Amino acid sequence: MPECQHLWEMINIQFGFVVFEKCSHCNGLRTYFSPKDHPIVGDAYLEGEHTWRCMENAQSFQFDLRCAKCNRVEKYDDFMGFLYCTGCLPDCQVDIIQKKLETQKTWVLVAFSFFPRKEKDSFSPERLKILEDYFNQRRDTSRSRVAILSYDLIEDFSRCKGEFIHDVGMLSLEPPKERKPLL
Amino acid sequence: MKIEKIKEALDASILEGEDLLEASVDQVYASDLMSDVLAFGKPHSILLTGLATRQAVISAHMAEFNGVVLLRGKKPKDGAEKFARENSLVLLSTELDMYDACIRIDSIKRKRHSPAKTETVKPVREEILLSHEFSIEGNDFADAGMVSTEVKSLLKKIGLDPVLIRRVAISTYEGEMNVVMHARRGKVYLSVSPKIIEVVIDDEGKGIPDVELAMQKGFTTATEEMRAMGFGSGMGLPNIKKNSDELKVESEVGKGTRLEMRFFI
Amino acid sequence: MTTTELIKNIGLKALSEFDDRKITGVFVSDMLSDVMAGAKSGDLWVTVQTHKSIVPAANLVDVSAVIITSGKEVPQDTVELANKHNIAILKSDLPTFELVGKLYGLGLVTK
Repeated sequence: MPECQHLWEMINIQFGFVVFEKCSHCNGLRTYFSPKDHPIVGDAYLEGEHTWRCMENAQSFQFDLRCAKCNRVEKYDDFMGFLYCTGCLPDCQVDIIQKKLETQKTWVLVAFSFFPRKEKDSFSPERLKILEDYFNQRRDTSRSRVAILSYDLIEDFSRCKGEFIHDVGMLSLEPPKERKPLL
Repeated sequence: MKIEKIKEALDASILEGEDLLEASVDQVYASDLMSDVLAFGKPHSILLTGLATRQAVISAHMAEFNGVVLLRGKKPKDGAEKFARENSLVLLSTELDMYDACIRIDSIKRKRHSPAKTETVKPVREEILLSHEFSIEGNDFADAGMVSTEVKSLLKKIGLDPVLIRRVAISTYEGEMNVVMHARRGKVYLSVSPKIIEVVIDDEGKGIPDVELAMQKGFTTATEEMRAMGFGSGMGLPNIKKNSDELKVESEVGKGTRLEMRFFI
Repeated sequence: MTTTELIKNIGLKALSEFDDRKITGVFVSDMLSDVMAGAKSGDLWVTVQTHKSIVPAANLVDVSAVIITSGKEVPQDTVELANKHNIAILKSDLPTFELVGKLYGLGLVTK
């Protein structure tokens, strides 16, 4: 039976928040999606050995992808968001690939799942490709394309100055200020 | 403008403030950035936003707005409704997105009449809400109907009466088909003001020798080919006359035809 | 209507170097998440957001141009990133609601 040439569409769209928390003991970082409004940035709470403090919360959304032809569903509830590369680390694979693909009018984004990463890598090459296909199907690819890369390609995330495509500070009562790197 | 009118224009459902709809707002603020709402929002405004959170409602309240409209069918979260109720804010929800919501409110805004304050008897110039021009290629049957489809689309955005839109669309379609069948090319000028929709179709073509004859049902100059495609049954001009409130036809053989149609809103 | 025609018709200021494109719709929102979820390729994106993230967001969805309303100052790094991707960043002094009225007046609709 011939393989389906999938035509993807977004379903189960949910708007909410991506919460970024840091533990003051182990410096661990964790993120998760919450459909509800989130507690004030700065509040800390104990959980086991950890003392988690919310550092940031960003307006975001969740979705799944479904093939309009064969009805296959690919869930993306582990999708945290996209990061775009600001070219801060010269040896970083992401920047190297980005520079190369730019000449071919292909724009690069890095797909993140939530931290800490699960044992099994949730963003397999196949799932990244599906995500990439979806966004390319949504545009006129004769002008430009999108490439979605794995988080693994980032040289050193603790020094990464890439930025997430999120809505930060929407609820802030102060005018948006310059965003600082996450870590 | 009364919030009641905004609610109607947006087909919105009332989440809170059913008894507050008679209140008037002076301005519409369309934004998802609450710091802007606080910095630039004026009292007695209404907020249109896709940010369906309690904070958005609080910001609107701080800026002394009278109400908030949540867009894109988003459900309010985390006590937004409770806050609105406790602070006498109207909270509405619409399926429309921000662009369409703004258009609908803008069109009812322009319908408002301010009482004449001067003694002069100058005719009040109707504010043009929309003015657009389209081109038609003669003999291009493949694209025939595209212009009237766009016109229909544009009018739907304002939220006009569907029966009225249908009349305009049919008239425009008949006029468009006449250009395709009988002219080299033509232009359609659509103009919408708060009380009138005007469609002018101006073509370069063979013209109509006898307009009165052409106005009779069943009279047609369509070729066999066109009839085979389903066009030219002779209902064109009579149908336009039936569907429009005012129709003016000018034609010159060998030069072209100009139709001016007016529809009262 | 193309980007250059739009600029002329409404009186916008072009801040970046851009590829002229046909505008096929309009999407008004200040939320990047809404844009990523709902905007269509070829849409004109109207917003007050000026942070440079709007460029990759605009790119991801393949908008035809971005109009920043309310006379907001657009930071240089946003303009530079937009130049790099040839995305039009256009500026209007009008608030969003009033600008929408003008766009509709030109006949721009989302199909």
